[in-house]
Amino acid sequence: MGTPKMASATLTFPTWRRAVRSTGGSMAELHVIGQIVGGSGFPRRRLFCKWGLHAGGAWKLLSGSGSGQTQVDDPQADDVAYWCHPLDVHFATKGLQGWPKLHLQVWHQDELGRGEVLGYGFCHVPATPGCHALTCVTWRPRGTWRERLSQRFVGGGPQLRNPDAAGAAADRFRLRTEAAGIVHLQLGVVLRHFGRYGVEC
Amino acid sequence: MADPLQSAGGAVYRSRDPVHNLRLRVRIQRVTSAGPLLPQAPPLLAGPRGPELLGLADRAATGARRPPDEEEEEAEVGWQEKLFSQFEVDLYQNESACQTPLDRQYHKEILKLEKAGGRKNYRIFTYIDHDRFTNLEEHCQKVTDSDHEVPSYLAERMANVRRRRQDRRPIEASSLKSKIITWEPSEEFIKNNHVINTPVQTMYIMGDLGPYGKLGHREYEHVLCTIKVDGNGVITVKPDFTGTKGAYRIELDGEKREVWKYTIENASVQVQPEEEEREQCVFRDLYGRHKEYLSGLVGSEFEMTLPGTLRLFVNGEIVSAQGYEYDNLYVHFFLELPNQWSSPTFQQLSGVTQTCATKTVGWDNVAYFCYPFTLEMFFTQGDESEDSLPQWPVLYFEVLSLDFWQRYRVEGYGSLVLPVSPGLHTLTIPTWRPVELGTVAELRRFFIGGSPELEDITYIRIPSTFKGERLSRFGFRTETTGSVTFRLYCLQQSRAFLETSALRQRMQSVLDRLGGFSQQSSVYNVLEAFQRARRRMQEARESLPRDLIGTSASAVHQLQEP
Repeated sequence: MGTPKMASATLTFPTWRRAVRSTGGSMAELHVIGQIVGGSGFPRRRLFCKWGLHAGGAWKLLSGSGSGQTQVDDPQADDVAYWCHPLDVHFATKGLQGWPKLHLQVWHQDELGRGEVLGYGFCHVPATPGCHALTCVTWRPRGTWRERLSQRFVGGGPQLRNPDAAGAAADRFRLRTEAAGIVHLQLGVVLRHFGRYGVEC
Repeated sequence: MADPLQSAGGAVYRSRDPVHNLRLRVRIQRVTSAGPLLPQAPPLLAGPRGPELLGLADRAATGARRPPDEEEEEAEVGWQEKLFSQFEVDLYQNESACQTPLDRQYHKEILKLEKAGGRKNYRIFTYIDHDRFTNLEEHCQKVTDSDHEVPSYLAERMANVRRRRQDRRPIEASSLKSKIITWEPSEEFIKNNHVINTPVQTMYIMGDLGPYGKLGHREYEHVLCTIKVDGNGVITVKPDFTGTKGAYRIELDGEKREVWKYTIENASVQVQPEEEEREQCVFRDLYGRHKEYLSGLVGSEFEMTLPGTLRLFVNGEIVSAQGYEYDNLYVHFFLELPNQWSSPTFQQLSGVTQTCATKTVGWDNVAYFCYPFTLEMFFTQGDESEDSLPQWPVLYFEVLSLDFWQRYRVEGYGSLVLPVSPGLHTLTIPTWRPVELGTVAELRRFFIGGSPELEDITYIRIPSTFKGERLSRFGFRTETTGSVTFRLYCLQQSRAFLETSALRQRMQSVLDRLGGFSQQSSVYNVLEAFQRARRRMQEARESLPRDLIGTSASAVHQLQEP
């Protein structure tokens, strides 16, 4: 960008000029392009997945949707439910703190249309550029034996009051959980201008 | 237009300009019927057309008996511009032959042409999208040389759809809300959706290659060029514009075996350079503005480290623990920062996962934690130990189980040194636990819980209190237990990386060539970079006046930027 044009921009947008001047017109950007491939190892079929990306205050979601929900997939042959749900987001940031995390919830929808959580999963978005085939393990809150018994026959069971807070590490020790299934992810990560700030990933 | 993709005689172009700007120039020439072949026509691409054309015509005239205007013809055809053939003129002249509105329109146009002094073209003519020929050609195209070939079911369907050429709007995002699945698809819907349904407009440039004076016979009509344009600006020209390869040839059947040759050129009006530049300028301006707007949204200052420090930022997860004896596991971990390392005050350096009941996967009992944590720490190069390797932070952890009766059991101890190189590291750390000899101890562990525990968990590695030369663990009995899987994304940030990034890349390639040294050298690289940066900073400090010292850091940063 030439200097004369910058000068003309300064007249109208003084705040922008400051931004451009200090970073050389470049911000650190993160593209995540990929898909939630599927889930396996869950005790039931007919699964769907709710997902959300959570990032710290320094981060800004520039485009793409940061949360969503897949369709209900009922695997016929094996126990892997395939969703192939697309993920395509573009973040910009001014700091490393609060690197985006992916929050996943695997739900089961039964024949009567009732929903039941089978697993909560949390994972960091990879910080290394490239294509990553990730697995995100999940767990679910474990109820009392009475609850577990009724869960086996009629479904249901305890859910997290505030699933996003459970992603935070601080309050985890209050939880009693049991291991659930695995969610498979394929994430392509593109980083831009991080090197300009001396960040090596 | 972009460069063409050559495919099977045709070429595909893409253009965002309106298609009615497309113009083609076709030149057709009889080489000779009996005599030897004339040399190739000179390139027709550049220069004024008039004199060259004359010269060509002269040459053609010398070699043949025919009048020159019959032997050679040139026409410039616009997109979907109708040029009538002799056959069509004869047909549509009498109104009784006209049946459709299109026929009647052609009738009127031909009468108008007659009044204006006859048509200009003789041999070259066109069939445009509305003509009957276009549909027939589409439908009756044979793909094998079988005499009994019948168009396939799919081909028929396609032809059906193509002929309608409906302009369907692309599905808007808002319609997603209303209906995703059509539960009862109609006949029409199926017909349109199961085949390729890109609306294509077609145009044929034809040559009437009949003998002189016998124009207007359908059997002498030959397709010179097929042009197809779809709604997305994809233009298919078959055969491609004549480039360096020379003219195309058509050899006629029959006793005379006449050879015709023709060239096709793109005669569209090109954009003026100034106009193109202005357009690019507008785009550049637009993109620039947009970029500024975006960076305005995010904010300007990327958090930087102080000069001479390395920031190690770890996005970590405790993924799972497997292979332990008892159920209901949890992991307790903490980070030990060696000398010269510090962390921000808000940074938590320890954590406890939730208690997780295991499940059986394969042979193992696995507990899933997916406990994400973030560690941030700074390394500052001290004065006294410039030549020694820095120690890296260590993560200690213990796995415990807690059963229904609130009995704790130590299941395993382990530790990991945070990875030195940036990037993704998936580490599975095996663990052990101390044991007491004898059945009594095991019985106690089973019934009452509790078992020998380490008093100082740093005993996993070299204990922090240890000062001697040799650490002996003789007499300390342990038992192998399960393992814990960690996934760590390590990021390193330093101003030193800014200065050395170009240099280091060169170094790395050399080291790669030497083979496998880059792994070992990364520590040295980091160290080296620090020391260089420090030295430079000290020099800068000494050379600068005192009042500038405060701002020197940012000044250096400004200089680094391109």
